Amino acid sequence: MSAAGNPVIELRDVRKAFGSNVVIERLDFDVGKGEIVALLGQTGSGKSTVLNIVMGTIPADAGSVRVAGSDPYRQFARLRGKLAVSFQTDRLLPWRTAVENAEIGLLVLGMPKAKARQVARTWLDRVKLTGAGDLYPHQLSGGMRQRVSLARALCVDPELVLLDESFSQLDHVTSQTLRADFASIAREFNKTCLFVTHRIDDAMEMADRVLVLRPGAGIALEEGIDASIRSSLQRRSALHDKIAAVMGAEA
Amino acid sequence: MAAQVSGKPAESAREAVPVATVQTESARWSGDLVPTLVVVALLVLAIQVGSAFLPPYVMPQPLIILQATWEVLTADPIHIGITGLRLAAAVLFSMLVGVLLGIIMGVFPRLRPYLRSLVIIDTGIPALSWMLLAIFWFRDPEVRIFFILSVILIPFYALNVFDGIRALPREWVDMLESFRPRRWQVLRYLIAPHIVPYILTTTKAVIGYAIRMAIFAELVASAIGIGSRMSLAQSTFRIDKVLAWTLLLVILNLALQAAIASIDKALLKWRPEAAVR
Repeated sequence: MSAAGNPVIELRDVRKAFGSNVVIERLDFDVGKGEIVALLGQTGSGKSTVLNIVMGTIPADAGSVRVAGSDPYRQFARLRGKLAVSFQTDRLLPWRTAVENAEIGLLVLGMPKAKARQVARTWLDRVKLTGAGDLYPHQLSGGMRQRVSLARALCVDPELVLLDESFSQLDHVTSQTLRADFASIAREFNKTCLFVTHRIDDAMEMADRVLVLRPGAGIALEEGIDASIRSSLQRRSALHDKIAAVMGAEA
Repeated sequence: MAAQVSGKPAESAREAVPVATVQTESARWSGDLVPTLVVVALLVLAIQVGSAFLPPYVMPQPLIILQATWEVLTADPIHIGITGLRLAAAVLFSMLVGVLLGIIMGVFPRLRPYLRSLVIIDTGIPALSWMLLAIFWFRDPEVRIFFILSVILIPFYALNVFDGIRALPREWVDMLESFRPRRWQVLRYLIAPHIVPYILTTTKAVIGYAIRMAIFAELVASAIGIGSRMSLAQSTFRIDKVLAWTLLLVILNLALQAAIASIDKALLKWRPEAAVR
C-alpha cells in the first residue's frame, strides 16, 4: 500500500483498541505528496479512528505513524502549520465573521492580523465566497459555511489536508459542487489529502486512490482511479460495484 | 498562495437560509416601555389613593415624594455618586476575580475541586454574616463595603464562567487544536469570546442584587452614601425621603440595566435572537 516518492503519511502495522474492542489491526498504508487518497469504510470500520491517529489527537497502541516526518501524537507541536483539517460539520465560531473564521489558523501560526485578513479574503474568493466575508455564520447557508471551513483549512497552506466526511451533511448537488471545487484546488496547489468517507461516489469523484478499510484489520481493497475511469461509465460502474461488494462484505 | 480568482457568492440564492423570527434587544426594550409606563401609572395611582386614607407619615402623596426626590437630588448628589462609585468598583473587581477563578476552575482540573468548594462555601454564607464580619475585621468603611460586595458577587461570576467553559463545544476545541495552538491562544481565540455572554448575563442578573447589598452595607457600615441617607431619613421620620431614595434606586437599576443591554448589544451583535411565536 505504498505511494510513489516520499510519503507524507506513513502507517506501519498500526493497531488501536478501545478496551477489548480492537478497532484497527495490521494497518499499513502511505499517502504520497500531492496525492488525494480516500479511505472508505462502513460506519464503525475505524476510519475516524485512523483520522484521529493521523491528526495526533489519539495515539496508536502499536506500530509506527509518521506524518510529514513526525509522530503526530508524540511530536504534536511539530506539525504546526503542516496539517489542516476540514471536519464533517463546519465548526465555525459564531462570534467570528466568515473571514475571521477563515483567518484563525493563520493567527494561531502567528501571522500579523492585516496579512492574515488579506490571505483569508483571497481564499474566500477562491472557494467562491466573494462578498460573503463579513457575514456571520448564522447568516450563511450550510454549503457556504462548509466553504468557509475549507478556506480555513487551505489558508494555512498546509502540506496535508485531512477531510473527515466533509461533504456528507450537504445535499447531493451542493456536495457534488463542493467536492469538484475542492479537488480542483487541491490538484492546482499540489496538496496531499486524506479523505475519510463512507460514500463511494464522493471517493471516486475526488480521489487518485481508494482504500477500503477492513474493520478490526487492515486495508481490504486498494484501487487507483484516473480520468479514464471517471469518464467511462462502464468502468466507473464496475469499480463502484467492486468497492460496494468489498464494503458490503466487511460490514 | 492562492491565485486571485473572481468568484461569486456560491449558492447564495439556492441555499439561502430562511431567517427565523428575530427580535432585537432594542425592539424588546421599546416593547417593554409601554407596559412599564402602565405599571408606573398604576403605582402612582395606588400611592395617591393610599395617601387619601393614610396619615402622611405612612403614605405621603406622590407630589410630596417628587418634591423630596428633587430635594435629595439637589442637596445630596454626592451620596448618589459615592454609592455609584462603590458599586462600580466592587462589581468590576468581582467580575475580574470571578472570571479569573472561573477560568482557573475550567482550565486546571487539579485546582478545580478546591476552588469550587471554596466558592460554594462562600455562597452558603449569608450576606448579613459578611456584613457583621466586615465591621469586626475592617475599620475603614470603604474597605468594609468593598469587601462585603466582593465576597457576595465573586461566586456568581466564578460559577457562571466555569459553567460557560464546561459548555464549550468539544468540536470547537478540536478544530482549534488541529492548528496546534499554544495554551494562551486557546484562551484568546476560544475561551475568552465564548464566556463573554456568560459574563454579561451574570452582570445583568446581579446588578439589582448588588444595588440592594450596597445600600444594606452602607446602612450598617458607613456614614455616607444612599444607604446611610436612607437610615438618616428613617431616624428623622422622613418617609417621603425614604421613598424618594427608593425611587432613585429603582431609576439607577433601570439605567444600569439599560447600559448593560447596550454593551450586550454591541458585544453580542453576532448572536441572533430567535423569538418563540
